[in-house]
Amino acid sequence: MNSLYMPKDSLIHSLDPRTKMIFVIFVVISSFILNDPALQLLLLVALFPLVLLAKVVKPYLVSIQFLLLFAVLIMTVHGIYNPIGVTPVFEIFGGLTFKYESMVYASVMSFRILVIGTAAVLFVMTTHPSDMASALVKWKVPHSFAFILLSTFQIIPIIAREAKIVMEAQQARCLDVKGSIIQRVKNLVPMFAPLFIITFMKVHQLSYVLECRAFSRKGTKTSLRETRIGSLDYSFLIGMLAILAFEIYVKLFAMGSLHLTTDALLTYSLIGTWIVFGFMIVKFLYKQLQGKIGGAN
Amino acid sequence: MEPYISVKNVSHVYPGGVTAIKDINLDIHEGEIVAILGSNGSGKTTLVKHFNGLLKPTTGEVKIGDLNTRKERISKLSSHVGYVFQNPNHQTFLPSVRQELAYGCKNLKMSEEETDTRVQRAIELFQLHDRLDDNPFDLNSSQRKEVAMASIMAVSPKVIVLDEPTTGQDHKGCKRVLELVKMFKEEGHIVVLITHDMHLIGELNCRTVVMNQSEKIADDHASVVFSDKNIMAEAGLQPPQITHFANEISHFDPNRTYLTVESILEWMEANQEEDVKVGTRS
Repeated sequence: MNSLYMPKDSLIHSLDPRTKMIFVIFVVISSFILNDPALQLLLLVALFPLVLLAKVVKPYLVSIQFLLLFAVLIMTVHGIYNPIGVTPVFEIFGGLTFKYESMVYASVMSFRILVIGTAAVLFVMTTHPSDMASALVKWKVPHSFAFILLSTFQIIPIIAREAKIVMEAQQARCLDVKGSIIQRVKNLVPMFAPLFIITFMKVHQLSYVLECRAFSRKGTKTSLRETRIGSLDYSFLIGMLAILAFEIYVKLFAMGSLHLTTDALLTYSLIGTWIVFGFMIVKFLYKQLQGKIGGAN
Repeated sequence: MEPYISVKNVSHVYPGGVTAIKDINLDIHEGEIVAILGSNGSGKTTLVKHFNGLLKPTTGEVKIGDLNTRKERISKLSSHVGYVFQNPNHQTFLPSVRQELAYGCKNLKMSEEETDTRVQRAIELFQLHDRLDDNPFDLNSSQRKEVAMASIMAVSPKVIVLDEPTTGQDHKGCKRVLELVKMFKEEGHIVVLITHDMHLIGELNCRTVVMNQSEKIADDHASVVFSDKNIMAEAGLQPPQITHFANEISHFDPNRTYLTVESILEWMEANQEEDVKVGTRS
């Protein structure tokens, strides 16, 4: 498997990588322009149909889990302890109160993480790394720089595979990987030393292979995978421009908020993340339990 | 006699859902050399990774001596079953051969003297006296492979598993592997070989297990397996050239499988009086 790319036949996949890159930049800018939890949430919800359209719902949910973890932490800890909060919204046990201002701050932060994460995951999952590289080249990015980016995407799974072999090889030399914390920290040396050496060897070899195929030749290079901007891309770009214009309008003339944020919205979104987090824990425990039962057979 | 390694009805399914081995039964006794043959992806490596617990069986049971691999840690099993990986670069990381050899013993928290005696034994076995202070990365690939083997042997496991020991080795290196395997046996170790090197198996003339599409399709002496054309064809294997040659020439005993050049020479000497007319078998 190369990188996170999911080869599917969908509308999003057929977009030009340049459009999708602009889309990611657009989402990042939007999430910073909109400093209002309700609008951020709207943006996040608006991204879901795109995920659905790209037919990557399941892998998307898997990869977004970690970001959700951040969101839960930020919303809970900031909501209670951030000193900017003054207006109490609701109290949980032990006199810990969630305050309005800090909840707004925390929701904006965590929605921003989720929004940017969603856009990035959507981009990576629907764009073949080679397409991305050739799109960059069309933007006059030096060919070698585009290749560096491309090879980074491709070397990660290779390193992961090598890491597994190294770990097995060291375990075969009686290395106990399930020891105490100190032991585990010490184990990083036998793990990473061979891994670094092997990676350097591989990269070195790659450079020879590239030279053998005239990589450093001067002049223009053609690409095997041609990408073209079509009418679909233009409509997508116009859509983005319209939304951006609206956002700037809201920012300039409506103080950056449509006054949709209420106590209820904040509370529900907090509880919503807790519920999702709860599901994740239950699933994790279930898997652990299954492993234990499977191991006893 | 109780087998030392006992594999009972073992299947292994990888997390992706791929069945790598299906219902394997295999007993390996003390003093045996076992070669495991088969094309790439036939499940050879998956099978031997069960011996030191790197993989746990999905169903079935693997026992090493009295130890059930499912219940033991890999580090403990590894002191009984040494596994030499194909690429020595995956395990070498210390700045000198001596430290590399002592590493396994240190992991097992052996005493200073115990470590010394074991390392000394490995040095003797592999004749590494001159290279002790060299950096393993300055050695050539066959020497590095030897150091990797020595570092596993230093722990002195009962079983030693060699994963494709002759791949990428020159003729001298291959001959050295052959010598080493014979020596391991003399020293009382069980040797398990994963290999594509038919010549090596012919020379060793050892027990041969053939894997094909996740299943064990043959388990017999090399001479029996190599003469079974059906099995060889099924697993996509070619016997050593000399065996092939002897099979095609009518004058050789059709009931015997010749695995080495020496065995053919022996036969020729024994039949010197006869006027040997060599013709191909039709």
